[in-house]
Amino acid sequence: MTTGKFIRALFSLLLIAGVGAGAVVRAQDKPVRQPAPHAIQILKIESSEIKLPPAFQMAIYERALEEVKKTGIFAEIYRDGDTRATSAADRVVLHTDVRGFTKGSARARQVTTVAGKTSIKVHMQLINQDGKVLLEKDIEGKVRFLGENMRATFDLAKKIAHTLKDNFQKPAPATKS
Amino acid sequence: MLTTNCPISLYTPPIPWRHGPRRLRPAMAGRLACLAIAGAFCLTTCSAALGQDANKPAAPNHVRSVLGFEDLKNNENCAVEVTASAIRLKGEKSTVEIATSSINDVLTGDDSARMVGGFLGTLTMFAPYSSGRFLSLFRKKLDTLTIEYRDAQGGIHGGILSMKPGFAATLKKQLVDAGAHTSIPIEDPAKPAAAPSGGAPSSKNSEKKS
Repeated sequence: MTTGKFIRALFSLLLIAGVGAGAVVRAQDKPVRQPAPHAIQILKIESSEIKLPPAFQMAIYERALEEVKKTGIFAEIYRDGDTRATSAADRVVLHTDVRGFTKGSARARQVTTVAGKTSIKVHMQLINQDGKVLLEKDIEGKVRFLGENMRATFDLAKKIAHTLKDNFQKPAPATKS
Repeated sequence: MLTTNCPISLYTPPIPWRHGPRRLRPAMAGRLACLAIAGAFCLTTCSAALGQDANKPAAPNHVRSVLGFEDLKNNENCAVEVTASAIRLKGEKSTVEIATSSINDVLTGDDSARMVGGFLGTLTMFAPYSSGRFLSLFRKKLDTLTIEYRDAQGGIHGGILSMKPGFAATLKKQLVDAGAHTSIPIEDPAKPAAAPSGGAPSSKNSEKKS
């Protein structure tokens, strides 16, 4: 084997080892995904401390319902106040509380690109029927460059759905015996 | 016969900038186009602002369904009608009817949107001399109406409508009169204590739940 070939092989090996190590580190960072409960009930967004405009509040709620439905990890999704939810077995409840809100300016964003950011910070909690908190996280939805202020609600809903997807996986279908 | 040998020729050569083909340089054409667009939008904005103050219709006929109404697409224009017991939103393909007795809350708010929106608005991003950014300066005010209602199973839905400024309060009043509930009562302009002197109608917006 010539020296050139040896160096090329060594570099290839190092590259493969680096990529493999990166993948292992990333896999370790991700939480272990639990099997998803059968049903989820999404409650209306609470904004006790922060005064969030009602349109934003409703937009987060509606878009969270849409995005969680898109993930497909829960067999049944119930709205806040749905009477059928009480009889659903293996149900978790998603509480979302607004912790911060900065209303930016769409005009400033579109004209300057760097100013006028809108952000909504929420604290989400997933609680099971026994009252045990299964998941708890602070999430921020924002619109920084393009779009109207309401787009922050879409970003937030997507992040809520993403968090659920990262922590739960669709349960495997029962095998027939 | 008079013959003259005049050295001065009567023929004058054409001045290039006067008699030549009238072509503007591309840079000049671009500047003129930008100026024309800016002028047109200034006129549109001024006329819209004057028109809003001049005539305030009693109730909106058309609104935009931003989201939350299941059979209507997001951002679909629809006709609105408030009957004795329901609000009816008629879109292009489907109609949504919500009984006023099932409405938990009606709240008004305000928002704004780009004067040039949609696909054309996206195209302006690629316009020369940052004219797309310039057009972003021109925005129109909007009123929003958030309707919180329950379905047959008791599940809460939230629908958002946007409309021209001044219409949301009128529509809210119509809904409340028809039996809808609201957590923030409508301000009566007849009451002297509630209304400040020369109270601006624009300050009525942005109700926030306590």
